[in-house]
Formats: sequence, C-alpha cells, structure tokens
Amino acid sequence: MLNKYFALIRMKWVEMFEYRAESVIWILGALTQPLVTLAVWLGVSDGGEIQGFSPNHFILYFACLIFVERMTTAWDVWDLDREIRQGTFSFPLLRPLHPIHWGIAENIVYKVFFLSILLPIWIVAAFFIEPLRLALSPLEWVAFLIAVLFGLAIRFLMGWCVGLLGFWVSRVVAIYSVVEGISLFFSGRIAPLSIMPPTIQKIGEILPFSYILYFPVEILMGGVTLERLVTGMIGQVVWIGILYGVFHFLWKAGLKAYSAAGG
Amino acid sequence: MSISVVSLSKQYKVHERQSGLKGAWKSLFDRKYRIVQAVNDITFQIEPGEIVGFLGPNGAGKTTTIKMLAGLLYPSGGEIQVGGYVPYKQEHDFKRMISLVMGQKSQLIWDIPPMETFLVNQAVYEIEESQFRKTLAELTELLNLEPLLGKPTRQLSLGERMKCELAASLLHRPKILFLDEPTIGLDVNMQENVRRFIQDYNRQYNTTVLLTSHYMADVTALCNRVMIINRGTLLYDGDLSLLSESLVPYKYIELQLEGSVDLPSFSQWGEVVETGGGKLKLKVPRNQVAEMSSKILQEWKVSDLTIQDPPMEEVIGLAFKEEKDAE
Repeated sequence: MLNKYFALIRMKWVEMFEYRAESVIWILGALTQPLVTLAVWLGVSDGGEIQGFSPNHFILYFACLIFVERMTTAWDVWDLDREIRQGTFSFPLLRPLHPIHWGIAENIVYKVFFLSILLPIWIVAAFFIEPLRLALSPLEWVAFLIAVLFGLAIRFLMGWCVGLLGFWVSRVVAIYSVVEGISLFFSGRIAPLSIMPPTIQKIGEILPFSYILYFPVEILMGGVTLERLVTGMIGQVVWIGILYGVFHFLWKAGLKAYSAAGG
Repeated sequence: MSISVVSLSKQYKVHERQSGLKGAWKSLFDRKYRIVQAVNDITFQIEPGEIVGFLGPNGAGKTTTIKMLAGLLYPSGGEIQVGGYVPYKQEHDFKRMISLVMGQKSQLIWDIPPMETFLVNQAVYEIEESQFRKTLAELTELLNLEPLLGKPTRQLSLGERMKCELAASLLHRPKILFLDEPTIGLDVNMQENVRRFIQDYNRQYNTTVLLTSHYMADVTALCNRVMIINRGTLLYDGDLSLLSESLVPYKYIELQLEGSVDLPSFSQWGEVVETGGGKLKLKVPRNQVAEMSSKILQEWKVSDLTIQDPPMEEVIGLAFKEEKDAE
C-alpha cells in the first residue's frame, strides 16, 4: 500500500506542477471571501468589541479561518461529477485499487503544497501583525493538528458522499453548492459561531460543518478548555463514522447503478 | 483463462426528454421513463487464447457486453464468469487478470507524459521492478514508444496515444484483454500496426482477446471466430469463414469474356451486377454455383472465371437488414 501511495503522490505532484499557475491562484482566490468578511466585521465593530470579540480577535480569527479552510478544502465532488457523467470513472474502477485512494493522494500533495506557501506567509506576517503571534502549548498544537486532520476527513468524505450521488443524478455539483451554502453559516465562515444567535450555535453543534472549520480555528486561537477539546473531538469522530458509513453504503449501491457512460 | 456467459441481459432505464424549452419544462414535472434492453439473453463461451471478434452496428450492445465482462456494469440478469471470477464483484485478483482498452476513452493521465501513467500502473498492479522494466522494454520496442514516453499525453496524436494506451493496459500482462474499438479514428497504416501488434501479443502470451470494431478488416485480420450482435441479441456465433455461408444465400461469379457480350441473355443465369470491358459479375444462388459455372463455360468463350463470397461488409450489412425486414 505504501508503494502505491508513493507512486500516486509522485504522479499527482508532477501533475500539480503542470498546473502551477492555477494552484497559486487557487490559494489567492480563497483569500477573498474571508478578507472581505473580516473587513465587514472590522467596520461594524468600529474599534470596539462585539460580544467579547475585539478587532484583534477578528483579525486572528479570519487568519486562522483562511488557514484551516485551505488545509481542509476538498474538491473531489467536481472530479467525481465529471468522471461519472462522462464515463471516465471506469478507469480508476478497472484498476485493483479503490478510487478513493487517488483522491487521498491528491489531497496529501495539495495540502503539503498549500502548507508550504501559507506557513511562510504567516510567519512573515506575524512580524508585522501582532495578533498573528501564536502562543500555544505543545498539547494545543497536537490537538490542533489532529482537529485539522479530522476536519479534512469530514469534508473529504462529505465531498465523496455527494459525488457518489452522481451514480444516480447527473449534476451533483449543484447539490454540493447547496451544502456549501448551508455550511457558510454553520462552519463559522461568516462569523465566529460564539457571536451567532444561540439557535444557530445549537444547530451548528449538531451539523458537521463546525467540526470542519470552527473547531480547529477555536484551538488555533488559543485558550480552549479541555472540556471543549474533548467534546469537539468526539463530535468530529462521530461525524467521520457517520459519513464513512454513508460513503460505504453509497459506494456499494452506486456500483450497481453505474452506467459507464459512453462508447 | 476462459469466459463463460449464460443468458446475460442488461436493461437501462432511460429518462425520455422532450425537445425544446417547453418539453424541458414539462419533463421537470412529468418524467417519462423508457426501458432499453441493451443486451438480451446472450450466451457464449470463449476458450483461453482465442481471439474473438464482436461485431454489430452502433448501439447493438457490444460495448455494454464488454463492460459487463470487465466488471464495470452490473448485469440485469444471467451469469458471467471471466477467468473463474464474477466480474461485478470487483475483486482485485480479477482486475489484475484483465485489461480493457477503449478506443474512445483514455486511461492515460491527460496533462503529463504516458510514462507517469505507466509508473502508477506498476505500483497499483504490484508489478515487480524487473518484470516492469522487461515488459516496458518489450512494448517500447514493439510499439516504437521511445519518442512518446516523455511527451504530455495531450500532445500525442490519436495513433500515438492508442499505442501508449495499449502499453499501459498490457504492463501487468493481463490474461484476458478486452478491446473496444481499438482502431477507431486511426489511419490505415496505424490500424495495420495495431492489428499486427495484437496478433503477435496473442500468439506470444496466449492471451484471450475479445475485440469489437466497426472495421471489418480488423476482424478478418485477427479473428477466426466472430459473434454478431444486434439490438442486444446474438445473431451469429461461429467461424468467420462460415459466416457468409450461413447468412448469405448467394455467391458471385466473375467472368472475363472473349468477344462481345450479349447482356440480356445473361440474366437467365443470375442477376447481373457489374459489366464493362468484357467483364461480367453474376449473383448466383449458392446451391447452383457449380452447375451454373459449368453451363456458362460450355456456352460462352470465357478467358477467366472466379467464384467469390460476397465481401464481409455486405454479409454483415445483409444480416442486419434481414433482421430489420423480419420485424
């Protein structure tokens, strides 16, 4: 298995360098929405605090958000949508390796690439922007790392679950954009969940979205309680379990429905 | 490795769309479905090392059958065994034993050189380094791949890509090879190359090959046995040489006559199809060919006489036409 991953990662790396310009644009493009949202909040707070969030808090929050968002982003649904609809999904399916491993390998490559760009930017930025200087304990760093990986797993599996619906319907990207729209509110992308109305917070705790972004961001901002750490991770593990189950079911049923389109 | 298919069927449920904006709007609320019987109760057996040609017009069910054999499609009914495995169970050992080449689709990764796909296949199919090097060297030699390996796939011509496609599919030395229109879109020269390669490969490794094609030349060059399918039903399964005998009730007698030709008097012998320059082609019922030829030779001064089976295209064309007429 290690050999297979090595080969897939190597290939994806070569492929990524074919698209190097796009890859960089991908990172920069993802900055716009959080930065605009940050500007709005800074404008609204007007130098004061909003429910305990100072301007510095907002800056740190959205910087963390950008970082976690990029590290957990998943685009498999677009690939699956295209490949299933056009029938090219047949090729990974013909090979003696589950197609999901291609997706995992691709994620590893792009995430390492994103990290290698975002980390230096953060370090340089921290010299100039005081709130970006992080002071986490080793335990918090480890917890953050695990939380990001779990968040990535949730988002990746969600993408695959929606993508596999392509076995039955022909434009799953549309379905996914609805999911993304909902996640805008509950993942913490528009505002920290803690300053959202209590109902939204309550729903957010149940839905998977906050476990993708908000929870890892909370840890990275520092000062999270042990209790929150434990409940958050339990939430993440539960969602990974649920989504894996759904994925497994959709996969089995989908293969029977697959029509391997095209001659 | 043998292939055994019993009463295989496949139905698709197709959403019928009406044309136009109004139709599209209507079909949002009132979806009509139609059941398409792509493959209907076909049964056959292929022995190890055989090359079998699978013929039929577009939409006959060839590709659907091949996809079921390769495990991509789930059959609606019947039984399939390929090399002792049930394809749709998607077992890895099964996948390591087969390969599917589709002339219209590419397994090569589009934006990077074919060599990258080969390396991925080496790992995924667990091919040992020494065997990989050996097979790759062989394929490179046979298919003349050397100049192509480093070019991005998207820059390859259709023929070049097909050669790399074949190589990528054969690296793991499959025992069973499914070729779905491997020569489609290729020029005559390249078609010939691909054919020769497939033939050599089959002889060398005793690979079982099932091939579909629109080009009769592919089939006549490669296969002793053909299966003809139309509308999902198997019309013929047997020797290529016996095909015309069983499907076409006539032969052609071609004559080179000395002196002038009196055409009308020939119609008593059979249907005159072609004339010119003292040449004449007669369409004669199969069972009367011997009798007719001897009579013609007695009554006319003939410098040359040949008896021919109708060309394959005609045989197949007729087979499909007759079936249509019978409806």
